[in-house]
Amino acid sequence: MRYEVFRQDKPGAYHTHCGDVHAPDREMALLFAQIQHGRRMQTNSLWVVPKEEIGEVDTDEAAFGGTTDKAYRWATTYNVDASFAEEIEASEREQAAEERKRGSDD
Amino acid sequence: MAATDDVADLAPDERAALEALLFRMADDEFVLAERYTEWQVRAPTLESDLALANIAQDELGHARLWYDALQGLGYSEPELVWERNPADFRHSILVELPFTGGDWADPIVRSYLYDEAEHLRLQALEDAPVRALADPIGKVQREEEYHREHAQSWLERLCDDAEGREAVEAAVGRLFGPALTLFVPGEHEATVERMGLRSESLADQREQWLDVVVPFLGSLGVEVPFGPEEDVDDLLPERVGRDGNHTDDWPALHEELTRTYRELGRSDARRLRGERRE
Repeated sequence: MRYEVFRQDKPGAYHTHCGDVHAPDREMALLFAQIQHGRRMQTNSLWVVPKEEIGEVDTDEAAFGGTTDKAYRWATTYNVDASFAEEIEASEREQAAEERKRGSDD
Repeated sequence: MAATDDVADLAPDERAALEALLFRMADDEFVLAERYTEWQVRAPTLESDLALANIAQDELGHARLWYDALQGLGYSEPELVWERNPADFRHSILVELPFTGGDWADPIVRSYLYDEAEHLRLQALEDAPVRALADPIGKVQREEEYHREHAQSWLERLCDDAEGREAVEAAVGRLFGPALTLFVPGEHEATVERMGLRSESLADQREQWLDVVVPFLGSLGVEVPFGPEEDVDDLLPERVGRDGNHTDDWPALHEELTRTYRELGRSDARRLRGERRE
């Protein structure tokens, strides 16, 4: 049985998908995942999830973000001095990078 | 004996006893790791292959710790491993026996019997009055926990059906006697006891080990190869390893694991390990 493995490198961080592991059950999957995905990279925690338990929707089935122009909902539309908050600045930078990506797709 | 972090304070017989204790542990870990690596690319799945290879790496790391402690007592690495007479090794014969070809139950049972004993041995050294012994214990125990969980998890799953249970029982039948040699005292045992290096004697450790492994195997439907009225000592093999008297499989394995060292010559071996030439 195939388990997908998600690694968190430090407390509070997101668990990020890092690969898979084959195991007969969850307990063995946790044992194997420690070796395969937690040994070389800094690891605080691992999740193992049976592959068939993961729901998926992809671009064949969904139009992510809609199909019409909704640029008004992008944070970069508004001219705000966000220098008072680091996380808002970071979020704006992310958004701007996403916009550039969308632009090149068209 | 008062706690010491300076082995120079030890009387000659005490120093010999400390060395003997370190050699038993280092040799057990080193030779077991060497045997485990024979499963590389041969284990039932990629995952089980990696897990056992990782356990082998852990055991090599532990061997390195105890050999380092011996280097602190004046031995060099070639004297400890590469150029040591095979008859001077003090590991239990459990770790030198070849695996039964392709039988996955063998390394799992061996690991189970060994790691439960290893756990007790380390526990008994936690408060040893010599820092070279006591200090590394915590680190080693944390890795050993994985080994025990790994072996127990596999045993539970192998014993899920009759075929697997039979393979486990056959391996237990073969390996139980050799595993008892883990607890056989060496030449300096009396001094080890007098110095209070262990909080539990080897005989007590063996009792505790039997109290753990016999019921666990029983809970899986696996019978141990002796009855309740029988003396477990009857299973003890003629050669135990602890006195340097090994099975014929050991010189062959030693020859194999030192071959590259001999072929390369000492200076090349140093270069490959990134050490400076002397």
